[in-house]
This record gives sequence, C-alpha cells and structure tokens, in this order.
Amino acid sequence: MKPIIQIRDVHKYYGDYHALRGINVDIGEGEFFSLLGPSGCGKTTLLRTIAGFEDLSQGTIHIDGRLMEGVPPNKRPTNMVFQSYAIFPHLTVAENVGFGLRRDPRTPAQKAAAVEEALEMVGLKGYGGRAAHALSGGQRQRVALARALILKPRVLLLDEPLSALDKKLREQMQSELRRLQRQVGITFILVTHDQEEALIMSDRIAVMFEGQIAQLAPPQELYRRPVTRQVAEFIGVMNFLPASVATVNGARIDVEVAGLGTVELAAEQCPGGARSGKGSVGFRPETLTILFEGETPRGRVAEGTVEEVTYYGDMTYYGVVPDGVDVPLTISMRNLVGRRVLERGERTRVAWDPAALVLFC
Amino acid sequence: MGATGANRGQPAIMDAKTRWGRFRRSEAASGLLLISPTALYALLMLAVPLAAILLYSVLTDGYLTVEWTPTLANYAEAWGDPLYRQVMLRSLFVSATVTLVTVLLAYPVAYYVSFHVSPSRKSLWLFLITIPFWTSYLIRVFLWKVILGFNGVVNSSLMTLGIIDEPLTFILYNVNAVVITLAHAYAPFAILPIFVALEKIDRSLLEASQDLGESRLLTFWRVTLPLSMPGVVAAVLIVFIPTIGDYVTPQLVGGPEGRMISNAIQLQYLRLDNYPLGSALAVSAMAIVTAVSLVFLFLNRRFLRVRQQ
Repeated sequence: MKPIIQIRDVHKYYGDYHALRGINVDIGEGEFFSLLGPSGCGKTTLLRTIAGFEDLSQGTIHIDGRLMEGVPPNKRPTNMVFQSYAIFPHLTVAENVGFGLRRDPRTPAQKAAAVEEALEMVGLKGYGGRAAHALSGGQRQRVALARALILKPRVLLLDEPLSALDKKLREQMQSELRRLQRQVGITFILVTHDQEEALIMSDRIAVMFEGQIAQLAPPQELYRRPVTRQVAEFIGVMNFLPASVATVNGARIDVEVAGLGTVELAAEQCPGGARSGKGSVGFRPETLTILFEGETPRGRVAEGTVEEVTYYGDMTYYGVVPDGVDVPLTISMRNLVGRRVLERGERTRVAWDPAALVLFC
Repeated sequence: MGATGANRGQPAIMDAKTRWGRFRRSEAASGLLLISPTALYALLMLAVPLAAILLYSVLTDGYLTVEWTPTLANYAEAWGDPLYRQVMLRSLFVSATVTLVTVLLAYPVAYYVSFHVSPSRKSLWLFLITIPFWTSYLIRVFLWKVILGFNGVVNSSLMTLGIIDEPLTFILYNVNAVVITLAHAYAPFAILPIFVALEKIDRSLLEASQDLGESRLLTFWRVTLPLSMPGVVAAVLIVFIPTIGDYVTPQLVGGPEGRMISNAIQLQYLRLDNYPLGSALAVSAMAIVTAVSLVFLFLNRRFLRVRQQ
C-alpha cells in the first residue's frame, strides 16, 4: 500500500486542552479510511488538520509526499464535504459545483460540461439551474460531493456527512458513497461517530479516544479482535465476564472465566497482550447460541435463566444470566421457521465456543 | 394602518350583528385593538400633517395668507427654478456622499467586530459603537464646529505641527463639513445592520470557499460580500433617507454653500411665509427619496430571496 497521507507524531493543543495526543498513521492511496470515535475524541480536529483549517502544535503531515506545514487549505490536494454541507446559498446548484473551477484553464462550455458530468455522477442530472437554497438535505449533500469531486482531489475528506440525514437516506448514501469511491478511485477519509457506518463503508478504521488512536484495523479485525474493552464497547455489542489469567505460556493462555470455568485461549485472542492476573473476557451476542429442545451442542454449554426478551422481528435478543454469574449476557438469535421465542424466567442452555472469546488484561 | 382598521370595522357594522360579534372575538380584532394607540398616534401625527402639506402644495400663495385656488405653479417653481434644483441636487449629492463614506467606513468596523472580536466581547464592542448616541445630536454637531473651525482643533493642531501656515477654510461652512459631520453621526446606524448580516453568515461557507481553492481575498469577494449585501442595502437606506432631509447639520456647519433642501423649505415656511412653495418643495423631496428607496428595496428583495433557506 502506497501511502498518500503520512501523519507523524501530531499534537494539537487548544490552550491547555490537549486535543490530539501523538497521532501516527499512514493512509493509503485509494483507501476508504474512517476516523471513528465518540464526540470530542479529536477525529474532526484530525480531519481539519489534514484539510489545513487547523495548524499543528507539533508533528508533521505529508500529503502525496509533500510537507503540508504552512500550506493553506486552498493550496492542498484535498477537498472536503462539510458536516453542514456549506452550500453557497446565493448561487445555483451549477454555480456551487463549478465554484472551484474559476482558475481552470478550460473554456466555459467545457466547464459547464464538467459540472453537468459531476452532477450526473451524484444523481442530480438536470438540477444545475436550481437555486441551492431550495434543495433537500440529501440533495445538498450530493451537491457538496459533486463540488468537491469535480476538482479531482487526491483525497476527499468527509466530516460526518451522513449524520443529518434520516435512516433510509443515510443507508442509501452509504452504499452510494462506497460506489463513488470505487468509481473515482481516490482516497476517502470519513469522520463518523456511527460504528455501524464505519464498519459498512471502510477499508480500515482508526478508533479514537481522547485524542489518541486506540486501534487501527480493517472492520473485521476491529470487530473480532478489539484491543481494549473501550474499543470493544464502542464497536457493536459485547458481553463481558470477569476472568483471571492463570498462566501465560507462549501461544497458550489459561484463563478462569466466572461462571464458565477454565478455558484455554490462543495468543491472538488477546490482541491487547496477555499477562497473568485479573482481567475480563468478552464475546459478541452472535457467538452464543441458545439450545432449544433436542438440539445438540457444539462447543461448551452453560445453563442459565432468561431475564430479558427483546423481539426485533428477524432477530430476538435475550438477556440470559448464567448460573454462578450476576450479569446478564446478551444473546442474539435468528428467528428461524419453527423456532419459538423463549419467555422471561425460562431456564435454558447456552452453547458457547472458547475460540470466540477475546481476553482483556 | 388606521385606515385599514376603519375599513375592517365598517362592513361589520353594516352587516348582521352575528358577524360583528364574531369579528369582535376574532384574533384580527384583538390585533387591531393592540395596535390602535400606535395607529391613532401615527394617523394624527403623520398622516394628518402629511395630508396638510399635500393640500398646501397645490394652493396659491397670497401675501401672508394662503388662497384656496388650486394650482400646480408651486411644483413648476420647485422643479423649474435653477436655485431650488441646485439645492435639491446638492442634497442628493451630499446624502449620496455621506452614504457612500459611511457605508465604506462602517463595513470594516462591522467586519472586524463580527470576524475578529471574540464572541464574549462582541456586545461590549457594539455598546462602545453606540456611545456617540449618549450625547444629543445638536451637541455633536456643535462639537464638529469646534473641531473644524477657523481656530478649531484641526487647524490649531496642524499649525502647531507646522504642516500649514494659515488655517484651512475648506473644512467648515461648506459641503465638506456637512459630509464629515453627517458621516460621523450616522456611522453606528450603518455598522449595526452590516454587522447583523455578517453574523448570519455560516462560517463553514468561508472554509468551503478556501477548501475549493480560493484565497481569503477572493473568498471575501465571492462569498462574504454577496451574503452581506442585505445588510449593506439596509445600511444605505438607513443613512440615505434621513440625511437627505437633515436640517440641523447644514444649518450649523454648512454655511451658505452647504445649504440643503430642508433649509430651503424652512426658509419658505418661516422666513418668507410661503407655505405652498415650501410644501411643494417638501413633497418633491419626499418623492425623490421614495423613488431612490424603492430602487434599493427592490435590490434588497433580490438579495433577501437568496437568504431564505
């Protein structure tokens, strides 16, 4: 992977507030990269330092091999889609899209054709003459995309572009953004607080907390092997049980899990690093299986009581308290034909697989 | 508005009682009731004198009396006499210059307060800008007389510094003095609407412009200035309309060559006792102001349409 952006040891202070605390990351050419984290984690600040709207307190950013220090936003090979879309209200759609073409050497007719082409790419063919203020939220976003992409930037920066849209439109735009990214082949950097959105769209995700990158990994790895409890809690749903690490023996780790007994884990099940002592294990709701009457278990089995039942139509989420533990575990089950939905208070057996556990020390 | 109230009431009285009752309980009725003190006041203090002036302007002037003979001779004189035409043109020129100077000077101040003063300090700045209003208008004009006079602050400073040998005479009792004084007096009126328009501009638009390759200067030209135009147009109207009819300033610092239309009207009314001609001049001045204002209102409508998001 050839890096297009190299971020080295970047710090940003606002007065006493330490917004970015030593960011190091390479972002590859043509990659769909996401910065994911709760609000105030510094993800937008990092994006704005790449765009040039914030200067660095320390560290360097190279884009396309060029040091960006002192380079203003208008001289950087990046373009941005703003959270508010920042559509110029005094201009038409076509004037908005063509805003950055002022110094383009092409003839006005060629520029108009380029604008029309960009509008077609985002599905707004024929909207050029409309007044920008008469557009809906989704259309504004498309205009903002066309306006940025028409300049053929090396990197497109997206600052929570979907947060203002309703759920349906958001899902539609997620796949459309993905399609656009493949079509134009440039690097997209997406800032989002929505973990699902990041998982759906990204090639790689950097999870940020308090100005630092907690984990940088592709979606599957991030979901399956979160390095800390904090990351695991932020990405999807995860059950935690207290555990104590008995021995760490090269590739093998012996762990005593509350309520489930002793398990033997492989080294990669502890991505954050293993050491003996107290810790916790985590597992996703879909790695646990409720055993209905007559089903034979795969893996190991625990017994418990159903405390909560949440019916979603296609899925049912159960809260089951295993014997010997006082916290309910969330278990998701597909509602297959012929499978009944358990009721609160029922006793049940739960099958689980030690290979699905993640250990946090 | 008073007229509207009367019109609304009348059909209700003539019609069935139920309709009158319904009208009395309606929101329109309570609205009219609420505005009626103001409306009555406006009717008595504005509409009646205005009607009187309109009436006077088409009557004939007799010696110390007004004769009830309808005529358009007053308008013919007001528009035809080169003396009045000159005074009117001078008023327009002074007012336009004052507006131009005031708005050009007010814009940077408004821009600075809006973009470069920290949000917690903005109200303090606006408060400071309104300080000139703490003194009466008349006193401020007198102070300018002191500043610009033959032995005034400007002249004595320049002479002490050795920059000039004898006092400058082109800064008092002429058009320049009127422009300087009025521009100072109306500056806050111009700063405030421009400031409000600038405050309303979404700052991410300016970042978007820079992101799309424009420098700060061109961002100002292509984004900030067009979006602040409603404020500029408002400032132009607010300065232009009152200054063209200003009486005190030209009277005190204008001298004979700085005389404006209101001074001519005053002369007709109070010195020469020619009410009809004075009224015709007043009506003519109002018509011109109305025409100019309508042009700007039309411009403003164009800019405002853009802002409706």
